[in-house]
Amino acid sequence: MGKQITFKRESEMPMISVSLGDMEWNKTGAWRTQRPFYEEKTPPCSAACPAGNDISGFILKTAKGDWEGAWNLIREENPFPGVCGRVCFHPCESKCNRGSFDEPIAIHALERFVADFAPRLSKKTGKAGEKRKEKVAIIGSGPAGMSSAYHLARLRYDVTVFESFPLAGGMLRMGIPSYRLPRDVLDRELSNIEALGVEIRTGISLGEHLKLEDLKDYQAIFLSTGAHRSRGLHIQGEKEKGVLSGLDLLKKMNLSKRIKMGEKIAIIGGGNTAIDVARSVIRLGKKATILYRRSREEMPAFEDEILEALEEGVKIRYLVNPIRVGQKDGPKRLECLRMELSEKDESGRRRPVPIPHSNLFIDADYVVIAAGEEIGASFLPEGAEKREGIVLTRRDGSTGIKGVFAGGDLASNQRTVAHAIGSGKKAAMAIDAFLQGKDAEEVIIQHLIGEGPSLSIFGYLHPGERLRNPHVVTFEELNMDYFEPAKRQGESKSAVKERIKGFNEVSSTLSEGVALEEAERCFGCGTCNECENCYVFCPDGSILKREELFSHQVDYDYCKGCGICFTECPRGAISLKEEAK
Amino acid sequence: MKKIEIPPEENLGHGHLACAGCGAAVAMRLTLKALGEKTVMVFPASCWSIVPGFWPYSSYRITAVHAGFVTGAATASGVRAALDVRGDDETLVAVWAGDGGTFDIGLQALSGAAERNEDLLYICNDNEGYMNTGTQRSSATPLLAWTTTTPVMQPKENPKKDIMAIMADHHIPYAATATIAYPEDLIRKLEKAKGIQGTRFIHLFSPCPPGWRMPSEQTIKISRLAVRSRIFPLYEIENGRTYTIQEESHVVPVKEYLKLQGRFSHLTEKDIETTQRNVDDTWERLQRRARC
Repeated sequence: MGKQITFKRESEMPMISVSLGDMEWNKTGAWRTQRPFYEEKTPPCSAACPAGNDISGFILKTAKGDWEGAWNLIREENPFPGVCGRVCFHPCESKCNRGSFDEPIAIHALERFVADFAPRLSKKTGKAGEKRKEKVAIIGSGPAGMSSAYHLARLRYDVTVFESFPLAGGMLRMGIPSYRLPRDVLDRELSNIEALGVEIRTGISLGEHLKLEDLKDYQAIFLSTGAHRSRGLHIQGEKEKGVLSGLDLLKKMNLSKRIKMGEKIAIIGGGNTAIDVARSVIRLGKKATILYRRSREEMPAFEDEILEALEEGVKIRYLVNPIRVGQKDGPKRLECLRMELSEKDESGRRRPVPIPHSNLFIDADYVVIAAGEEIGASFLPEGAEKREGIVLTRRDGSTGIKGVFAGGDLASNQRTVAHAIGSGKKAAMAIDAFLQGKDAEEVIIQHLIGEGPSLSIFGYLHPGERLRNPHVVTFEELNMDYFEPAKRQGESKSAVKERIKGFNEVSSTLSEGVALEEAERCFGCGTCNECENCYVFCPDGSILKREELFSHQVDYDYCKGCGICFTECPRGAISLKEEAK
Repeated sequence: MKKIEIPPEENLGHGHLACAGCGAAVAMRLTLKALGEKTVMVFPASCWSIVPGFWPYSSYRITAVHAGFVTGAATASGVRAALDVRGDDETLVAVWAGDGGTFDIGLQALSGAAERNEDLLYICNDNEGYMNTGTQRSSATPLLAWTTTTPVMQPKENPKKDIMAIMADHHIPYAATATIAYPEDLIRKLEKAKGIQGTRFIHLFSPCPPGWRMPSEQTIKISRLAVRSRIFPLYEIENGRTYTIQEESHVVPVKEYLKLQGRFSHLTEKDIETTQRNVDDTWERLQRRARC
């Protein structure tokens, strides 16, 4: 078969014109002017994920019912899926291509689902194998520190984490109320990291109990102490009794300390801390009023959080700015000025300016100032430079001191959990490169997702596997002929009445059925999910299957390069390039 | 998105001579998957006289009989009779003819076979013109289309012949339209036809990149747009009477379909309106028939 037939004499020819062989000798691949090939590309969600999660990858597994595979895939990049599924501001969803079709995928809800369901099926994470001789010290057990500890442990380093509070978790524990992040979820993910052999030593504070000089045994140090100091308002009376910073109040509540605060609480500020404080206070059966100097539009808190706060009865007064906390003891009287908005400032928001003689008074039993946080830098060693309120680092997270790296809120003004997790991962890669004598910046650049700044450690740990073109898939590159509109499935929330009774979690994890439905909505931009459209529509039967298994291979002997597979791929996982002449 | 399931067996071999992106090659591959090995297929003159290869080669993995242009349905009737004499009632006898061999040149043989209700499956692979000989018009060429015999200065004046109505009025047990962008629908119809005795007719619509002056990678897209724009609706007719329309939920103006093809690039807005009216009228007529 497959050979050309020649007749030497007439008698060799059949009596009638019947065919004697097939056409396989005719390699029609020679006609080709363009060559299709499988090439996974970068989905916009992953490129937008500060933690660098393989989002389309894990959703693909979720859609196939492989919860455990999905969980493991997330944890290639991020040890905190249960945390992120709950508290991340999910910038991935605003970049989701499905948003241009109907509604973005509820990525956060799926991540949370996977994190809650898969561990029930899975055995505990095993240790990473024999440790290397190098030791790394991490200061601070927040998301940056623990993400870095996790990846360094996977890279087989001997990792010790120093934490000043009696419990690990940093801002995740001290700053985030449990109605948003239940403590068992946090504890479970922290203990998974410890299970890799990471040692956490609590109650040890840098500067107080520990100096960098004491860490001579460690070949590298990662500073991730966060931004714990509340920014004051610099107004009269703010240091008096009955006035507390938002973060300090949250810490006290999260360490289960009782606080006497009366009934009416005024909270100054418009960020997430202000909202967290207000919603916590409501749960203690008190009245919460937020005072914000700009309008709703400029509020830096996440929109969902603001909406939930309003539902729960938090009052927000816009365009008021306190100038004095009156009365030393007992109930407070806040003197405020009304504000109006003028031109945009450097943050892109309209700047509030006081209206002269518009003074008004607001009474409260207790005043909470939540006007932002900054780093407490008194412990910073010499050589670690500070600029614009943060520790100055190079692209690879290194500071001015050799072997000392910094990340998380300490070294960034993008103060989110996902950014912290991403910076911890970056530090782990940079520390490994530093200790192994590689060029850390080069390592970082090689492992960017899309054009960055998101970073993937998967390719660093498994060189050559799952290579992706950095090109970020656009909506126009997808084929919408294969998708039908389908409603986005989100988590359900408990009734407001129930919510404000205590600190139980507000939203619930998706059920298996709903998660499956939602995962199936994912376009899987740039990621082959073996839908086999290429195989079905190939006019030349040139998409190879091995015993019914899809191979991701084109038979170039016969492929004529028509490009149908390229066009009919719903998700842009096939590329087309001009054939060399 | 639902995965498209098609039978695994491949009965069209590699190395065939179809142009890159040939809609009919997709159609043939899918059809032979559905019909299976135990098929004798008769080929009156068409692209498919040469696409499978030239003597002494063939890329068909079924029995193929090449026949004269006019004789598709007549030859198949003979093959059926011969098999019947041999007592073989298992082997399916099919015809694969182009629109030229069906709408024009083979119409009387087809009409004769249909009137006798011969036990055969007749597939008309419609690419709307004599594409194998260099893109001449056929009576399947659509209104206002360019071909080498209906040049831009004088594009085709008459609308496409309604072959389905002709076949329905022969009261054959089964007639259906199908196209390659809907493989599961095509395969279902072929399997259904396989299970019916008598003359079955499949009007199979296959875009032709060179003849339609369109990029080869658009073949499936254009096949789908033909259905979505209702210029080629999918439906079935049983016993010449019972109509079932497979309605597409996405309906687009016919302009969307026309604008991707060079053979329509000369159309003015007015021409497009005329085409749209023609599509609307034909659709309405089909619906009327489906109702009664």
